[in-house]
Amino acid sequence: MGALPLEENMKRTTLIAVLAVMALIAAACSSGGDPTTTQAAAPDTTAAPVTTAAPATTAAPDTTAPSDTTAPPDTTAANPLAEFGESIDADPALVEEALGPVEPSDEASWNIVLASVARATQDLDQATIDKAIECWGNQECDTGSGGELVMGFADGGGNDVNVWRSVSHMEAVLQALTYPEIGTIISTAANFNADPAVHANDIRFLIQSGVDFIVGYPDMGVAIADAIQEATDAGILYVPFSAGWVGLPDQEGALIPGEGYLTVVGEDLCALGESFARILNEGVGDGKVAMLGGTPGNALSLGWQRCTVTSLAEGVELVNPPANESSTTGDTNWFNPIIPDVFRGLLTPNPDIRGYAYEYADGILAGLQAYTDLGIPVENLTLALRTDEQSLFCDWADRNEPTYNIWFSAGGNFQSRTGVTAAMLAINGADVPPEIVVPHVMRQVTPEDCDPDRVNPVVSGTSLVPDEILALMFAG
Amino acid sequence: MTSTRAPSSAVTSFVVASRYMPVFLALVLLVIVASIWAPTALGSVALSAVAPFGALLGITALGQMLVIMTGGIDLSIPGTMSLTAAMMVGVGNQADDRIGVAVLTALGVGALIGLVNGILIGGLKLNALIVTLAVGQVVIGLVNRYGRTFPVQSQVPAGWSGWVSARILGVSPIFWIGVAITALFIIAFRYTTIGRRFKIVGANPVASRVVGLRVNLNQVAAYVGAAVLYAVAGVALAGLIRNPGVAAGTTYLLAPIAAVVVGGASLTGGLASPLSTFAAAFFLAGLNQMMRVIGLPTALQFVVFGLVIVGGMLVSGDRIIKVVERVFRERKRTRLRDDDATAKSFPA
Repeated sequence: MGALPLEENMKRTTLIAVLAVMALIAAACSSGGDPTTTQAAAPDTTAAPVTTAAPATTAAPDTTAPSDTTAPPDTTAANPLAEFGESIDADPALVEEALGPVEPSDEASWNIVLASVARATQDLDQATIDKAIECWGNQECDTGSGGELVMGFADGGGNDVNVWRSVSHMEAVLQALTYPEIGTIISTAANFNADPAVHANDIRFLIQSGVDFIVGYPDMGVAIADAIQEATDAGILYVPFSAGWVGLPDQEGALIPGEGYLTVVGEDLCALGESFARILNEGVGDGKVAMLGGTPGNALSLGWQRCTVTSLAEGVELVNPPANESSTTGDTNWFNPIIPDVFRGLLTPNPDIRGYAYEYADGILAGLQAYTDLGIPVENLTLALRTDEQSLFCDWADRNEPTYNIWFSAGGNFQSRTGVTAAMLAINGADVPPEIVVPHVMRQVTPEDCDPDRVNPVVSGTSLVPDEILALMFAG
Repeated sequence: MTSTRAPSSAVTSFVVASRYMPVFLALVLLVIVASIWAPTALGSVALSAVAPFGALLGITALGQMLVIMTGGIDLSIPGTMSLTAAMMVGVGNQADDRIGVAVLTALGVGALIGLVNGILIGGLKLNALIVTLAVGQVVIGLVNRYGRTFPVQSQVPAGWSGWVSARILGVSPIFWIGVAITALFIIAFRYTTIGRRFKIVGANPVASRVVGLRVNLNQVAAYVGAAVLYAVAGVALAGLIRNPGVAAGTTYLLAPIAAVVVGGASLTGGLASPLSTFAAAFFLAGLNQMMRVIGLPTALQFVVFGLVIVGGMLVSGDRIIKVVERVFRERKRTRLRDDDATAKSFPA
């Protein structure tokens, strides 16, 4: 008699235990954050990741708050990258910090973007900070993980010549340190050398050094296509970030991403160009505008300039149209010493320019010097920019000129992290799309966008490098 | 007697002057073209904005001119300018009370670079092109290393950039510094023994050595003087662009040589004019500005710039003298032939 209830009790207890375990698993899954749990979850590619971590302008989703119907979908259940060791459960606050309140791009791209931000932890221990500074400041470093993979970082600029480049380098280093498989990082910098051979030789040096993949920005574009093709032929994955196409597909000598190199990380350049045009159309109304670019013919500038030209409203007069579809205009080389020359050339015949589109905010600050030289007041001016160097924003705040307005997208430093993650995904067997589209959104600069306490005034506000590392980088 | 006589003094003067003429004609042509295509570029405000950059190029060109007058060439300009510009950041430390120390240190370092060039070229007789290229590379390496001692893209002291951007009689002080250096050179070459000796040694070092002039010392002094001028340009450039970084001088490799060539200097040494060199620098700066004003694509800007330099070489310097000489020689021959024919037609 007594045995039967006992048996029933046992069954009930077992049932409760099973239910409890299932509930615990479900709870663990919904709280996210643990990459191992994420990997255990069955990948569900049908569940759109779009809603999982899409940061809202007004309120970012709170993943820690338990909720039922309004809660974001279970991110781990929808993680197609789990089997490759990646979590897409990025902190929405970090996503918004890096990108602004964007709408997600296509699912494949967005997942990789999320995976890269998910690794961008801001809470680093001292050993990691020391290692990051070591790897950032030296050509070669042992990450100490014992990993067998070698990462190459090939920059056409470099730590010593440009803050944006140095921060992007650090973002890549920090990302690499999250992968124990990466045991060595080798970095090169061409320091904006005008000779394409210098840039190509950096790539060849990395090939000879036995790297497994290369992340970088190809300032020389198609001029170094041969070296990049050599890397690809040698089985080395090449991933340019910041929309550093090795020539746009219709450019002569261009490599096709997915064929000539693994993938390109960056904004949809045409959409970016259209956004710039929209800002200028609305801000200027009727009047003259100019476009500025980087190195002559570079794919980033060419890509957005093409679409800005065709999207400008009728009343907006572009004072420096490009010579043809394959030419950039307003070439500044992103090199501050020559930027005032370019502005003088534009302003001398057109002192009434009322708007600029450009991808480099700090370059505008260098160019504003031409306004002083020519005695032209900085007013009735609308800027549509890509990066967000604090130096310009603080200068804007100091001027306190109501007819001078700036709109920006995002610095994009973190895209080098996406490059590292894309390469690691490919190495781990994932299918990486030939273009990883990073979404963008234009935001108007407000006084809050000037952080006078930023460790270096030229550092982008959207960088994901923690402040304590920035302080060490720019301590001098 | 007629056959051995040199051309008349008036013609000689014209021939000598002709080597320096093309740059002034080119300046006039540039003004005419600009007045048609880009009249706003000739406005006083536009010109005053270009003036400091023209003067910067002029100062570096005057340094290069000194070296070319000794028969050499200096490719260490970008390195020297970049280092001295960076020193305005590093030594200046964004403190106005350190401006003086920064400027003096930069000029001293510039002189040291010139001394190294001078000793290797004038003393050890190494090839000037290779030596200055190598020294320039060493200096670029040093400036990259030095650049790590202060935050990248840091600014020069505000007082320095303020002074450089100020206006004296409506123009930047850099312009007046360039004018003063040019005037100093003109006076030195024309009215001082040391200046005239410098030109003579450059024109004919073998003969100079025979008559006891110190050719080696002349060369060393030329490189030191030139490097000090590059340093002057470097510190001034730092003030103009405020955050010079470690590569501010990279665009000054070929333009100073172009200015010296277009200015009519003899690449074999000796002959050069500070005034025409300074004018050539303004011509090139003005040409550069005009091309930007009319919106020429970057690729075409390079093409035009290169063609102008080639054109300058074709119409200036030794070439004109040689053409004129050839014309005179032909005339003399013709006259001699005519005289002989006349003599033969009148039997004694």
